[in-house]
Amino acid sequence: MEPSGGGGDRELMARLAAGDREALAPLMGRHYRRLYRIALSYLRQPDDALDVVQEAFVKVFQSASRWDGSAEAGPWLARITVNLSIDRWRRNRRRAQTFTPLAADDRMATLADLSPAPDRRVQGREAGERVAAALLSLPERQRAVVVLRHYQDMSLEEIAGALGMSLGTVKSSLHRALGRLRASLAGEQP
Amino acid sequence: MILDHLRHRRRVSFLAAGVLEGRERDETLAHVEACARCRTELGELRAVVAAMEADPLREAEPPVPLAFLVGRVEREVERTLVPAARPRWWLVALPAAAAVVAVAVLLPSLVARLRPAPQAARAAIPPSEASPLLTEDALARIERNLAREHAARYLSEAGEVLVSVAATGVDCDRADERLDVGEAPERSRALLERRALVVSGGGEAVASARGVLDDVELALREVADLPSCVKRRDVERLRQEVESRQLLMRIRLMTRELEG
Repeated sequence: MEPSGGGGDRELMARLAAGDREALAPLMGRHYRRLYRIALSYLRQPDDALDVVQEAFVKVFQSASRWDGSAEAGPWLARITVNLSIDRWRRNRRRAQTFTPLAADDRMATLADLSPAPDRRVQGREAGERVAAALLSLPERQRAVVVLRHYQDMSLEEIAGALGMSLGTVKSSLHRALGRLRASLAGEQP
Repeated sequence: MILDHLRHRRRVSFLAAGVLEGRERDETLAHVEACARCRTELGELRAVVAAMEADPLREAEPPVPLAFLVGRVEREVERTLVPAARPRWWLVALPAAAAVVAVAVLLPSLVARLRPAPQAARAAIPPSEASPLLTEDALARIERNLAREHAARYLSEAGEVLVSVAATGVDCDRADERLDVGEAPERSRALLERRALVVSGGGEAVASARGVLDDVELALREVADLPSCVKRRDVERLRQEVESRQLLMRIRLMTRELEG
């Protein structure tokens, strides 16, 4: 994880809360890479991930005055990013349902890209694609837990704080998610 | 054995996920040693975790430099502040303009009243100039002009958005025939948020623009729903729609009319 705590973040957040827009760039410099990776691991689409990071920082600026000064900025930023990623995921899914012909083409193309190709079965890239497809099939919150744990190396306590969930719920979500992923990758019905 | 396996099943997941510590970890490892099914499960779960940890996305770099992203965020922050500021500007500017006009009109007559004037000059002042001149008509004219200026600016910005979409030739995904429409969807959403103020706030002053405003709204709604990287055929469909309604020409004509 990139630096998330410390006086730096607090000072920058305090400046943002006071309406100082100059604090935005250094705050982004500290966190944008990490937030991009969270959004990308969740959505698997670079353009969407970039949009989410942009929205996240706009939201940070807008709600800086409501930020609890005693809290760490890192988990708060992660929570905003995960929530926006979930929103974006839902919006994309709604669009896919509304514009069936166009979306069906896209979805079929995506699934075709992700399904195992017989002639590339042994290639590592294909394994990565299968993991991606399995991740995308997880329920929203389970996927968020897996992304924060296995793509950001966050502890269960940190994940609970970032997602606003109880530790027990995080544990259950992780257990179920790993079970589903295992079944998906083994070709079973999760 | 099966009951024991079920009891440890969650812990096997946590062991694979690397979040099990201390006594729980030791107990689970001891159980796995004695349970063939658990060993299989742990092996498969570890393979899942290893696949995620080998995923190149973990170390992916943002496709644009930080400065570019900062610019986008700052523009977006600016844009989100503008619609909120507009009504305040509107409410403050109108009375302020009225006050300036009132002072400009009343001050000379007030000074004239306080200063003793020669009898002949005092007799030369027409009675109408001795009373306040800021009538309701004058206020209504100022209000009407502001509303029309606001609508003209809205239409002009909407025209820019539609042109930017229709004229885009930048590929964002050549293989999938997709074009980059940049910030047009976000700008459309921001404009749609301002629409109510233009139409209801403008009242009769913008009545002649209602038809164009309605067609512009439809087009903006379509753009607002687009992703930033959009299929070429969707851009083409939108372009044809704009052309068939002669929307850009009507926007230009109406903007000129509103600006007087």
